[in-house]
Formats: sequence, C-alpha cells, structure tokens
Amino acid sequence: MTTPTPATSASVTVTSATPGSSTSGSLRLEQLLRRIGTRTIVDHLDLTVEGGDCLALLGPSGCGKSSILRLIAGLDWPDAGRILLAGRDITALPPVRRQVGMVFQSYALYPHLSVARNLSLGMEMRGVPRATIERELDRVLVLLQLEELRGRRPADLSGGQRQRVALARALLRRPQVFLLDEPMSNLDAQLREELRPQLRTILCGGSAPVVYVTHDQQEAMGIADRIAVLRDGRLQQCGTPQQLYEQPANAFVARFIGRPEINLLPQPDGSLLGVRPEHLHPVGEGGIAARLLSREWHGASQQLLLSTSYGPLRWVCNGDQPVEAELRLGWEPRRLHRFDGRSSLRLPD
Amino acid sequence: MTRPPRELWARRLALGLLAALVVALLLPVSIAVARPAVTIRVLMPAPFVDATAATVDAFNRSHPRLTIAVTRGPFETESVSDLAISSLLLGDSPYDLLLMDVSWTAKYAAAGWLLPLDDRLGPDPLAGVVSGARQGNVIDGHLWRLPMVASMGLLYWRTDLMERPPRTPAELVAVSRQLQQQGRVRWGFVWQGRQYEGLICDFLEVLHGFGGRWEPDLTPGLGLEQPEAAAAAGWLRQLLVDGISPAAVANFAEPETLQAFETGDAAFMRNWPYAWSELQKPGSHVAGKVGVTTMVAEPGQSPAATQGSWGLSVLRGSSHPDQAVEVLQALTGADSQRRLVKDWGNTPTLTALFEDPELLAASPTLPEQLRALEYSVLRPITPAYAQLSDILQRQLSDVITGGLPAAQAMGRAGQASTLLLESTGGEGTGA
Amino acid sequence: MSRTLRANLVTLVLIAPALLLLLAVFVWPMGYYGWLSLQAQSVFTGLEPVPVGLANWQRLLGDARFWQDAAQTLRFSGVSVGLELLLGLAIALVLHQRWPARGVVRSLTLLPWALPTTVMALGWRWIFNDPNGPINGLLQSVGLATLPFLASPQLAWIAAVVADVWKTTPFVALVLLAGLQMIPADLYEALALEGGHSWQALWRITLPLLRPYIFLVLLFRLAQALGVFDLIAVLTGGGPAGSTESLAVYAYLNAMRFLDFGYSATVMLGMFLLLLLSALLLLLWRRAAEA
Repeated sequence: MTTPTPATSASVTVTSATPGSSTSGSLRLEQLLRRIGTRTIVDHLDLTVEGGDCLALLGPSGCGKSSILRLIAGLDWPDAGRILLAGRDITALPPVRRQVGMVFQSYALYPHLSVARNLSLGMEMRGVPRATIERELDRVLVLLQLEELRGRRPADLSGGQRQRVALARALLRRPQVFLLDEPMSNLDAQLREELRPQLRTILCGGSAPVVYVTHDQQEAMGIADRIAVLRDGRLQQCGTPQQLYEQPANAFVARFIGRPEINLLPQPDGSLLGVRPEHLHPVGEGGIAARLLSREWHGASQQLLLSTSYGPLRWVCNGDQPVEAELRLGWEPRRLHRFDGRSSLRLPD
Repeated sequence: MTRPPRELWARRLALGLLAALVVALLLPVSIAVARPAVTIRVLMPAPFVDATAATVDAFNRSHPRLTIAVTRGPFETESVSDLAISSLLLGDSPYDLLLMDVSWTAKYAAAGWLLPLDDRLGPDPLAGVVSGARQGNVIDGHLWRLPMVASMGLLYWRTDLMERPPRTPAELVAVSRQLQQQGRVRWGFVWQGRQYEGLICDFLEVLHGFGGRWEPDLTPGLGLEQPEAAAAAGWLRQLLVDGISPAAVANFAEPETLQAFETGDAAFMRNWPYAWSELQKPGSHVAGKVGVTTMVAEPGQSPAATQGSWGLSVLRGSSHPDQAVEVLQALTGADSQRRLVKDWGNTPTLTALFEDPELLAASPTLPEQLRALEYSVLRPITPAYAQLSDILQRQLSDVITGGLPAAQAMGRAGQASTLLLESTGGEGTGA
Repeated sequence: MSRTLRANLVTLVLIAPALLLLLAVFVWPMGYYGWLSLQAQSVFTGLEPVPVGLANWQRLLGDARFWQDAAQTLRFSGVSVGLELLLGLAIALVLHQRWPARGVVRSLTLLPWALPTTVMALGWRWIFNDPNGPINGLLQSVGLATLPFLASPQLAWIAAVVADVWKTTPFVALVLLAGLQMIPADLYEALALEGGHSWQALWRITLPLLRPYIFLVLLFRLAQALGVFDLIAVLTGGGPAGSTESLAVYAYLNAMRFLDFGYSATVMLGMFLLLLLSALLLLLWRRAAEA
C-alpha cells in the first residue's frame, strides 16, 4: 500500500514504440449522465485524465465504472454531458472514429481466427495496405512476445497469452485513449501480480490517457497514477493513491482504500473516528483498552482482532511484536481521520 | 365397557362400503361373462361407417352373441387400402371384413389375403345383383367379394341451361362453348384430371365413348396403342386448350369438381352418384337444376360408366369366418342397402331395389343410375392393376398438362404396360 | 485381468445400450432392406421372397422414373433448403435484435413448424386452389388471370417448395437463433471499435461463428427434404405428370400400391445412398471451409 513505483527502465523502449503519441491529449468527461430506465448509472460525472496518465476507475460492482468505459468507447450513448478527447468533442462520434484501444474483460478475441488474423482484422477492414499490416503486426508480436503463437487460435492460448493478444490488438489501433475493463479478472492471483508491472510498462509509458476499470483496490493502487472511486454512479474522490489513502474524502473511500479495512469508531457526538489498523501501536496509558479476540500470523506481519468499548478493532503489526491478552492501543494524532456521522464526509483535522 | 354407538355406526358404514366396492368390481366381470362370444371387426372408409351405423346397431341388438365392431378408416379411398395393407403385412390382421373398392380385388386375392366365398353363400349369391355390379367379384373362378353399394361415373348436366343433355363429345363441346359465349357459365365441363385413380375412371368412359378399350388381353399395348385411345386422350387435352375445362382440372379430384359445379360455374360435371344429394343441399346454387345421364360417346358407340362399387370381403386371417360371412350377408342384404339408398343417397346393387317406390321417391335418379349401370365398364382385372393405372395416370397427366402429344403418350403407356405384364407374367386375368 | 482390458470392458458395457439401439433402429432395417433388394417379393410371388441377385439393382439403374424422381427430389431439396437457410438466417437475425413484443413474435414464428405436415399441406392445397384459393382470388381481384399452381408441371414443384419453406423455415431460424445467442456481444463491440460496420459484422463474425449451426441445420434439413413424402402425397400426389414425385413417394407406391417390396427396398436404398452422398459433400464442404 504504497504509491506506485516509477516506470522502470524497460518503459523507455516501450515509450518510443507506443504508437499514436503525436495525436494524444487529455480525456475530459463533463457532467456525463447515463440512465437506464429510471436508474441513474452514471451521475453527472466530471473527470480528466491527462495524456500518459493512468486513471483507475475503482468501485464495487454496479457502481457504474464499466458504463463509463462504454460511454468513452462509444458503445453506449450518454443522456447528457460531453466527452472531450484532445480537446475535440467526441460525444456524438461513432466508436470507430474515436480511435480507442479497448481491452475487454473477456478479451473478446475472435474465436475462429488465428492470433495474427485477430490482430490484423481491424486494419484489413479499415483498408490498411498489406505491407503496413505486416509491419505493424510484427512490431506488436515482438513487443508482446507473441511471435510463437501467431498461428494459434484463442482456444489454444492460456489466459495470460489471451490477455497479451487483446493488449496487442488495442495497441495496433494506435489509440488516442486506452480503455481496459477488468483485464486481470480472468487470471489467477499469482499471474496478476506478475503481469501488473508489465501491463503498467506497456500502457502507462505512452502519451495516451489510460482508463483502467477494476474493483480491486490493490490492483488500482499498483497500476494507476490516479484513482477515481465511484459509488452508485457518483464520483466519491479522485486523486493519487497516496491522497486517497491519507486524505479519504469520506468514510466510503476510507473503507475502500487500504487493507485490512480502516477502523471506524462511532463517537458520542455522532461522528466517526477513523484509524487504519497499521497505524495503531501499544501504549502504556491513554489510547483505548482492548482485549484480544483472534490473531492471524503472516510471518512479516500479523493481523489481530480485538474487542473494545467502541466495538471490534482491527490491528496490524510486525510479526515479531509480542501481544498480550489485555492491552491499550494508541495512535499518532496525524494518523487520525474524522467523518461526519450523517453525511460521512471528512471533517477538518 | 360398551362400545360408543358412534363407533358401531362407523363399522357398519365401512362394511357397507366394502360390499359396494366388491359389487362394483365384480359387475363388469359378470357383464363380460354375459357378452357375446364373437366380435367381427370391419374396416370401412369413414363415410360408410356413418352410413351403416343404423344397420350395425340393429344387428348388434338382435344378435346377443355376435357383435360387429366397425373401424373408421380414412376418407380417401387409397388411404383405406394403405391402412388395410399395413395391417395385413404385419401378419395377423386385426380385421375380419374389409370394405373394398372394386379395383383392389385382384391384387388382394393374388396376395392371398382374401377368403374365397364360393360355397359359403349358397347357390349363385350374385343372382339378385344388377348386371352392372356383378362383374369384378369373381376372379379365376372364385368369388372374393359381395358388393354393398354400386357406383358408376355419371354426367351431370344443368336442366336450367338446356332441354336435353348432349350425347356426343362434339355436342358437349358445342353446348359448352355456346353457354360460355353467352356468359351463362364460366366453364363448360369439369371433371377429375388430377394424377390419381379418378383420372383413370374419367378416361375409361371417354375411351369407350371413342370406341376404344383398355384390357390386359388386347394388343398392342392393352388397347392403348390404338388410335381410339389417342383420340380420347387428345379430346380431354383439347377441352383445356379450348377453355371448355379450366386448366385447373389437371389438379381436380372429386371435391374440387363438385365445388366448381355446385357454385354454378360449369354446365357439365363428371362425377359419382353421391354428388346428386350433395347438389340438392342448402348452399348449392344448382339445387333442382341438375339432371344425370351417361357420359357422351361418338355416334355409333355406346356410352360407358366406370364401375366403382364397394363390396365386402372376408380376410383369410379371420378366426371366425362363419360369423364374418353372416355379418357380410347382413351388411350387403336388402335391408342394409335400403337404408344406404334412402338415408345416404347411395346406389343399390340389388335389382329389386331399383323399382322400390319408397326408394324411387327418396332418390329420383335411380332409373338413370340403373341405365348407367347397364353400360358399366371395368378397369383391368389383374394383380398388376395398380402399376397399370399408375403408368396410364402419369401419361394422361402429361397429355392433359400439355407435356406430350396424346398419341405419343398413349404409345408410351401401352409399351410400358406390355413390358410390365410380360415381366410379371401377369398377362390375362392374373392370379 | 489387466487394467486396460478392464477399462475397455467397462467402456463396452457402458456404450452397449447406445450400440444396441443403433443396431435396432438403423443397422437391422438397413441390413433387412439390403437383403430384400436382392429378392423378388411382390404380389406376383405371393409375397414370398425369391432370390433374384442384382435384378432389382439392374432395374433401378435403367429405371428412368427413378432417375427423374431423384433429380426432382434433389432439385426440391436444394432449392427448399437453400431458401430456408437464407430466410431462416434473416428471421433469426431479426429475432435476435431487441424490440418490443419480440417474445410473442418468436413464439408465433414457430407455429408453422408445430403444425402437422398433412394439415398444412391441405391448407396449401386450398391456398393454391384454382380458382377459389386466396392467391388466385388476389390475382383475380387485380384483374389478372388465375394460375393453375398445382395443375401445371412447371408451377407445382415451386408450390411444393413454397409450402416446405413455409413449414420448416421456423426450425432453421430457431437453430440459427440459438447459434446467434451463443456469440458473445463483445465480439461485435470489439469489431465496431476497430471500424467494422454491420455488414462486416455479419460477414466476419456472425457467419463464421454460426457455421457449425448452419452445417447442423443443413444436414438435418437435407436429410428431411430428400425423404420428403407427406407434403408431396397430400399436396400433389406426385403429379401433374409425375413432375413432383419424390423418391420416397415412388418407394411408397412400389410397396403399398404395387405390393412390390423387393423393388421398393431397392428404391429406398437408392434414396439412402443419395442422402449419404449429399451428407458426404456437405462434410467435405465443411472441411474446406474450416481449412
């Protein structure tokens, strides 16, 4: 749970190879509204992603994050609001003219075509000359280490290989904006960890804005420069992972960012006192009295559940920290968050 | 301690119910024991099931130990044969008696499905049968069936449009053309031109009218390679060419023909006797304006009426042939035929019934039907009849729809028929 | 007992019911027909089988009517199934779209298929009736002459095709609709993002991915159409002038009307060989299309 690492040296070569850099610019969503029947899926959303920036749309399922992606791609139409790409209003443009590179959650590879044909079909349809197609194809096949697989069909590929083909297809589009819809959700946990830096290198090194939809806060923090947390179609907070972690705008964001979840202790005045489990430490006196309920030991760290007069309390500390059955826990004042009891908005420090 | 009265009542009630149950269970058994020992099963085309229902009822009431069970076959003639053959091929036939078209007899007899009736019906069982319905029952010296109703081709004509019916083909065409030109009818003559058995019946009448014959012994080509056959087929084709008959007759069976005539669209119709009562029903545009006569014939030739009688045969597989014969006699007897004529407009086969005043009153065309029966002609009697008919049907249909000139088509039909009879060794009267 | 032997035995026991069923409904009748085609068994042999070697097959080869019927059956099947495929695909594509009352229309579309063939054939016989059928009524009302649909060798087979297409297109549409619903929607979205318009979507995604279903429905329908019987028997009886007679009708005539079972079995087997050949061609086509 740290700020994203800066791009590795590998990204330098990728950056030069990323297509479409000259035309890239920022993506702006203005008062975007989308309704289905009486339900508001996207509620007057304002967002900006600068070229070369990676924005993660984060939220629980049904929060509208995928809908936003589809609106940007032109697969759905907004009921109100504008979408601007590099200063140009693309709200009314058909998908093909928006020049987006999209990676679908399912990857949406054409099952009847080989890897090479999957990648070249779009260019064929757009009437790109054969020689150019071959050149472009070779470039992305090398870039994503797919040369060996060019003759295979999607059914004969592993999950990670399919993801690479989908990425390659998005890259070939020379997109002005990258859209990724939960690209990791079909992969197992270990593979996700492995692929994350690679994905970041390929996507975020370029100059096109990247919008990355996920419901996994860890993934969002690992990949994105900035994160937009959404709930019921409304933007809760948008900022760097560190801002979201240190200054959550409301109790929802505070709960969504950081694992284990933040402790929210109800106060007599109705407000909520928030303190993250990793910011608690034992104190001789002061703090709050707690009694140990259960303990999970992870080696480097341990996770403890305690009972207090405010309710249950989560605590994370070093694995070698001795823990007594009865103890008092305190925190540094700067680590404290306070939220309004009714609106759950952050109260001034 | 005494039982409470309520429980006692419950016990009595339970006993009573048990007794009632036993009686209820035994009752059908006792009825079954008393039921007649023999059931004779008869397969008939659907219309005859209704027409014989009263006779069957009366028979079953007066014969406590012998029951007639009638199976309702399909409406269409050939479908009844299909049903019968399907069951016969499976071995033990579920039927004892079969009501058969005259044209099936030779085939069924040759297949060994029928029981000869020779000594079972007393001396000369066909004595009382009108001459026109007598043929086609005896094949190779054995009696295979007894006719129940006669039937023959008739020419229906409009009494409101002409004083007397035409007698020759040329006359029929002339009258038709005149009436058509006057706008009094749309068509002159409607008949059965669909590629099926009915076409053969129509053709046979015209063939005889032109002096031709269609018989297995005739050469060349069973008579079809003679000029008369080409003339007859050519005349039918010319009816369509000249617009005397609609092009659609090439797909007309009896119902379509009747419909066209019933609406008053046509001056003449070739059909069977059943049509007369249909034409008198409410909804008919020609009720009371219809006469019947025999088909037209060239001067010097006698007219002809194709025989289409229905008769009963006993199936060889019947386990009660004596009782089956008894039922056969009852269904073909005078009382049965009287009902068939009076209530259903059928034609009797017993000579005596044609003079019965009560029947004459109910069916005023009986004298004309009797006259037509005197001219009745039979289709070839051979087990290969179905093939012969099929060959001729195709060629006739080809002529009527303009595919082949009549002489050429009749030549082909004659050659194919000769080949067939040679290959099957079925020359002469078969079986 | 070795392990593989046991495994094989278990396999054999497990597939035995299916094998027996296949034996009972396919191998046995085919074998019987094969034997029967080497016999003369007809009303002229008193329905007793008399071995005649290949006489029936020789007769078949020289039987102009068999070959005419074979050509007519192939023409009927090819045209009917081809039209059914085109119309069925169009209907499936329309029914696959979202629009109000789609469910009701889907069910209604199936009605012709649910109708017994004989009933619908009678209906079409009336529709094509000259001059009282509705089509001819329409022609007359606009001042045109009536057409003898079922009384003309040139028109009657087309009438049979129309009736068959009307009856079985819903089945084709249903199978293809099932196939369409198996195609993930995001494939179309991916294609749209890459610049594919709807015609390209049909050509690049729908048709290739529908191919297994098209193949299935073709095989199924072709087998049915090559054996067409009840529609022809009721609508035209094979006429006029034998122009609509199918091989199944000819086999039926030989068996049920002519009581010539040896030759009927030969015709039936001839029809089966034709079907086999068609299926083989279809398989080859599929191979070629996939390569």
